Amino acid sequence: MSNSDLRITRNVHRGAPIRFQFDGCGVDAYEGESVAAALWASGIRALPAGDGDGPPVRALFCAMGVCQQCTVSVDGVRVEACRTTVRAGLDVRSRP
Amino acid sequence: MSASPHAGPAGSCDVAVLGAGPAGAAAAIEASALGLRVALLDEQPIAGGQVYRAVPGIAPVRADRDRAEGDRLRSTVADANIERHFCHRVWHVERVDDEWRVHALGPEGPRTVHAAALIVATGAQERHVPFAGWERPGVIGLAAATVLIKAQRILPGRNVVVAGVGPLLLVVAKAIIEGGGRVAAIVDANARGDWFAHARDLVSRPDLVARGIGWIRTMRSHGVPMLHGHILRTVDGDTRSLRAVAAPIGRDGHPHAEVASTELLCDAVCCGFGLMPATDVTRLAGAAHAFDPARGGWHVIVDADQRCDLPGLYAAGDGAGVTGAAAAPLQGRIAASAVARDLGRMDANARGARGKKRGSVRAARFGTAMTQLASVGDGAIASIPADVIVCQCERLSRRVLDGAIDDGCATINDLKSATRCGMGPCGGRLCEDTAARLIAIRTGRTRTDIGQATGRPPLRPVDLDALAGTFDYDALPMPVPSPL
Amino acid sequence: MSATSANRYDLLVIGAGIMGATAALRAAQGGMRVIVVERDVAGSGASGVNAGTLSLQIKRVGLMRYALRGYEWWREAGEAVGFKRTGGYTLAFTASEQALLEERMTKKRDAGAPIELVSPAEARAREPALSDRVVGASYCAADGYADSTRTGPYLRGLLRAANVHLHEHTLARSIDAGGDGFRVATPGGPIDARRLLIASGAWTASVAAMLGVTLPINVRVNTVSVTEPGPRRLHAAIGHATGLLTLKQKANGSYLIGGGWQGRGSPATGRGEVDGETLLQNLRLARFAVPALAHTRVLRSWTGFEASVADHYPLAGVLPGVPNAYVLACVRGGYTIGPFIGPLVADLILGREPELPLFDPTRVLAVTTRDGSRAADGRVPGK
Repeated sequence: MSNSDLRITRNVHRGAPIRFQFDGCGVDAYEGESVAAALWASGIRALPAGDGDGPPVRALFCAMGVCQQCTVSVDGVRVEACRTTVRAGLDVRSRP
Repeated sequence: MSASPHAGPAGSCDVAVLGAGPAGAAAAIEASALGLRVALLDEQPIAGGQVYRAVPGIAPVRADRDRAEGDRLRSTVADANIERHFCHRVWHVERVDDEWRVHALGPEGPRTVHAAALIVATGAQERHVPFAGWERPGVIGLAAATVLIKAQRILPGRNVVVAGVGPLLLVVAKAIIEGGGRVAAIVDANARGDWFAHARDLVSRPDLVARGIGWIRTMRSHGVPMLHGHILRTVDGDTRSLRAVAAPIGRDGHPHAEVASTELLCDAVCCGFGLMPATDVTRLAGAAHAFDPARGGWHVIVDADQRCDLPGLYAAGDGAGVTGAAAAPLQGRIAASAVARDLGRMDANARGARGKKRGSVRAARFGTAMTQLASVGDGAIASIPADVIVCQCERLSRRVLDGAIDDGCATINDLKSATRCGMGPCGGRLCEDTAARLIAIRTGRTRTDIGQATGRPPLRPVDLDALAGTFDYDALPMPVPSPL
Repeated sequence: MSATSANRYDLLVIGAGIMGATAALRAAQGGMRVIVVERDVAGSGASGVNAGTLSLQIKRVGLMRYALRGYEWWREAGEAVGFKRTGGYTLAFTASEQALLEERMTKKRDAGAPIELVSPAEARAREPALSDRVVGASYCAADGYADSTRTGPYLRGLLRAANVHLHEHTLARSIDAGGDGFRVATPGGPIDARRLLIASGAWTASVAAMLGVTLPINVRVNTVSVTEPGPRRLHAAIGHATGLLTLKQKANGSYLIGGGWQGRGSPATGRGEVDGETLLQNLRLARFAVPALAHTRVLRSWTGFEASVADHYPLAGVLPGVPNAYVLACVRGGYTIGPFIGPLVADLILGREPELPLFDPTRVLAVTTRDGSRAADGRVPGK
């Protein structure tokens, strides 16, 4: 159902397809994926900057909870997208 | 209601193991086999560390050797008689009254584990060398690529530049091809023959050498351009139309001015320059560290039994020196044996894991050779243009750091105070190595004298509300008011 | 001693924090040839790691006049030190805290600080981010903060411009007192000076001990934390009736949380450690005062040493029993007060009458040690 060309199709067993919200827009994903990976597969690579003096644009870099660039808000809590598993209906925001 | 719901006997054990990768898992299982009460903590939802990283719900139909190894590790951890705390982010460790307090935040809230001994098995982290555009969307680490491809089954791109140095280049390139993607080029800082210099140590693991040769053959048969002796200088472009420029370098890492660069069109860039021990926990604990390029740089100092110089503290796996996944489990078992012995819980006649050193030495030799192959000369750092961002979190260019160094910053802590380099959310993990090398290049000081940044909690950013938990204002133990 | 007068300084200051540096500047202004010796870098102690609070509300009544003067220095330094005049609130959440607040703030106002008591409704109207559990509050329009990390570089610049010699990464290993002054041994060689000022913060006792003087200094280990930047919610600096909370949202949106919650460690090891449990209490208090702190992430916590003596007043004056030696340390609220009291001690050293009274260090030596071996002037017999 996702038309992303980045999801590997050979030799893989995925969970069920689901949909979550990112900045108010629907994103297709599969159960088990991290928010960061699902966004990446959907072509969403750039996150607008948070507050403060940091970079104007952030983007996935380390994919393992170290670089903090993929930080998003889930239910108001700031978490790394790469450490957050997608759930149907999850409301993810790039800014607090 | 208690203000600290998780302190006390319920949260006590003999040994807490941080990290459920090959070293930590082996340590936890061995400690349990020796009769100790064990708590194993890891940030991820399941065991495996980075090398065997996986997520519940996504699996290959046919497991390859690594996946099978990882699944084996996961099931022995699941079956072991230990306390497992997955999805727990450890944010502080402190030694108080002869025991360790491991402060963690899990899905249910804060948890403090009290342990007589602490085995740190938090592994390695990737080294990065900045280039113009490395902060752009579409540029990720090599380790990040393995996470996406192996654990999430998602390609970084369909036409990917794989750049940097070290064994991960081929790992990532092969994984992309196996996943159905194309590798636009491999940009390898090592010259083609560099691995010969380490041949003697590499052949201690002929199986891994054969695997590497097989990977190179795969690259050739897929027509992947391999640019040896090159590093990336620039990445620009938008979304999935990226242009990477790779420049040839000399042995010292300096670009050759007269030789032409190569322009590569791609839709993603994966880059990384080898692995370094992750020393944040041992630094925070105040253990002694040493700098050794052969071990990946700064590492905690351990004795033959994996003991650090602080009572009750042990380290195993890549965190004690990058020696690779093969050497890690034995180190974990040695650490667990040392814990049992030091706690007086080991039968005097039991040999534990002390004696089985030969396999460990062989594995370590290969790992060390791989680590030495994963480095790039100072010229690559020295030639970073002044405008390139070195500290991404605080958006600091090389020019700013050089200015502070010229103004007298002689240690990494000086530089941090003066420029805020390393004070952002990543805690210097992306920039500290480069910043230290800049100080070394500019002042001639040794990495030992330049030092590491002082460790401070929290080990990773933690939600304030989650930390604070539910509490009663009246239960807050307010000290005496300040003097009037 | 064989030093010639050509290479002997008029004054050697040990410690390049606010105390030592501002004293050195005044002494240089007064015509002295001054050198400052610093074991780490300028402002690396309390001066550079504290939460930056410049609040008159948290100052001791007996030090208010000094605080008002010190505050002016920060205001003039301005952007160079990240000075912000944000106004400040002190909050009470219980009846007893409110009583404490009213009693204390009345006295502080009488001592000269422009503090007014305000109702919770008023406070929350002006600062909507405040908890609805506030039962009493006070406000001072002058309160604010500076960026403590900029203290060191700023002081370094001032010292350079005034031609005061500054030797950083230079530990004072030993001090010999002789007829014509002092010889301080450092890794870079000995330094001679006619006069000595010990302004070494938490290390003051150990430096004074080099001259055989035992100063009964206590060292606290204060914890400060910083969060990630968040949306602008808080404008004023926030305190607590007991003095146990400082909270501000910096220009870049991150929150700085302090209040003197105790970590562990000692200046002898140079290292302080954050205590996980007291950190949580500090964070809880902050969260209670400003609920908007929920869902920010804590990025870093650290500790800084703060020296004090039993009566919590400064040591500012002559070092007991050692001619031409002086000490300046243990100033509660030293970040605000330092830039005024440093020059005050320098005036004493220059032979001028200080504008406001100093705080005689000999007063703390009235207590004898357990074995009674200390002489009245504080010197250990035999030294």
